[in-house]
Amino acid sequence: MARAMEVPAECAILRTHPVLTLNKGKYSYRIEKNLYTVSDGSASLTFPILWAFGLGDAGQTYVFEKEGVPHESRVSFFRAIDGLDWTLGASNSPPANLMEAAGRAMGKQDAAQCFNCHSTNVSATVVPGIQCERCHGSTETHLTSMKPMKKLGNVDAEEISNFCGQCHRTWADVAGKGLLGITNVRFQPYRLTNSKCFDVDDKRISCLGCHNPHQELDRKDANYDAKCQACHAGGKPAAKACKVSQTNCVSCHMPKVEIPGSHYRFTDHQIRIAKVNDPYPN
Amino acid sequence: MKEAVEAQQAGNFERAIQNYRVLLEKYPQIAEIHSNLGAALAGEGRYAEAIAEYERALKIKPNSQVSLNLGLAYYKAGQLSRAVVTLNKIHQEQPKNLQALIVLADCHLQLGENKQVVDLLTPAQTADPENATFNYLLGTALVRDGQTAKGQVVIDKILRNGDSAQARLLMGTTKLMVNDFSGALQDFTKAVELDPSLPDVYSYYGLALMATGDQPGAKKAFQQELKANPNNFDANLQLGVLLRQDEENEEALKFFQHSLEIRPGDFGVRYQIATVELAKGQLEQAQRHLEGLVKEAPRFTEAHVSLATIYFRQKKKTEGERERAIVAKLNAEKQANSPALKAPQ
Repeated sequence: MARAMEVPAECAILRTHPVLTLNKGKYSYRIEKNLYTVSDGSASLTFPILWAFGLGDAGQTYVFEKEGVPHESRVSFFRAIDGLDWTLGASNSPPANLMEAAGRAMGKQDAAQCFNCHSTNVSATVVPGIQCERCHGSTETHLTSMKPMKKLGNVDAEEISNFCGQCHRTWADVAGKGLLGITNVRFQPYRLTNSKCFDVDDKRISCLGCHNPHQELDRKDANYDAKCQACHAGGKPAAKACKVSQTNCVSCHMPKVEIPGSHYRFTDHQIRIAKVNDPYPN
Repeated sequence: MKEAVEAQQAGNFERAIQNYRVLLEKYPQIAEIHSNLGAALAGEGRYAEAIAEYERALKIKPNSQVSLNLGLAYYKAGQLSRAVVTLNKIHQEQPKNLQALIVLADCHLQLGENKQVVDLLTPAQTADPENATFNYLLGTALVRDGQTAKGQVVIDKILRNGDSAQARLLMGTTKLMVNDFSGALQDFTKAVELDPSLPDVYSYYGLALMATGDQPGAKKAFQQELKANPNNFDANLQLGVLLRQDEENEEALKFFQHSLEIRPGDFGVRYQIATVELAKGQLEQAQRHLEGLVKEAPRFTEAHVSLATIYFRQKKKTEGERERAIVAKLNAEKQANSPALKAPQ
């Protein structure tokens, strides 16, 4: 999370991919070091990239400015194809001109939300990425008030789901706005809350029950088996043991779902008995 | 009386009001004095007092002109539901009274009762297809009701007279309805340029700014609309929403309460009031309001969502889970009714 936002000079993807190109219809795109160029064959626009958003596990999108207004690049880097493609959602609105082909002007609130979740201390001097203070609160306040910083280890599943959901979207955010369909697979706290086994009082099913935000994300399915078995091996009376297997639980019960155009298979956090050809449950 | 009438005709309403009041001390049962006093008070913008005088006059002696004035005073005071009742009666009795018809249609429009506007104005617009006011009101109602094809026919009539703020407002509204926010913003920007005094123009401009993420700009636009029309429902409601987002809860509440005066019982406003209470930590109050709301509007998903949040904060797990199950059911129904959302795994 510390690298959720980086300046181009520190961005590993831009360093290891000194030139990225893409041709889409009449537009061609080129990212060379920190310069983002879009051309329609007769004219071109070039902007310095100010920020790279996203770790790049799935993808990375770039932010540039025009006349003081931050813009989201119309193309993003995707790890799975090791190159550029449309930024998620961009293909729904064909560009009317070269500037629109370069990117989308971000509204003030839109930009504030992006920076709020990809950086720390956004109301003062922005520190790129998610650093300690983003979750635990201001060090300065801690020192001046002599009160302890926020401890998150002891809060219940509901509260931690809402806390992580500030960026990953809470159940209330998604359910209230009716964000239905497979695009909501990205909103893990929402999906987890919809799981049959979600219990607001049980920390074993909270975000922190499986993930340690101070460490890199563990991508080995088997490493989560103990988390499932904490309840399903007799730890919780209502939690039945799986008749099929006691290993690699998440490979069946948390299927991977690809959002069209994302070039990435997201783990669906709505834990369930998933059957082939079942519709995607909201 | 003569002195009072002359003062009123000369626009000296304050003097006329004083004279009528003196007369009423002696002749409290003369309906004309009450109705004239009502008109003078309305001239001063004192609509609540004017309404009281018109009502007294009508109690003494029914009169269609006074009824019309009462309807107009309700309209000006933002008591739109009452205005509808009064003006509807006049419209039934005098179908050719254009003032009553147009103000009645505008009341329905402001109350969000678009279908009633369409029903009311379609015969009048058919009889007089070039009437710009009919076309504008009917076009607006059709577009807001989602009848875009029919609305477009009326918009085309307006466009034949050249580019105008009315046409731009209608075109922008059409775009807003289909979520083309940047297109709508372009039209509303032009409409504001062409006629900044057009009713609703800043309100819709604000909605488009809000949808494109310019919250400070939207706030200014809604404030601008309210300067001209303090009873604009959308401007009151949306300004309240923006203030609540900025955690200015007390200020937000004022706008929500005024919205509720304009559209009594409106579910959306009542929901917003409950969210302010939730933000202020008044959980029991918010819970009571939301429980009442979902009883009346059981398919109001956002209200169930907020209710679930409250129950969980209160550690009422069973109730919270019940609300979440309702939300899941409502969303599943929406999913089942929308082919685009039925993607298989």
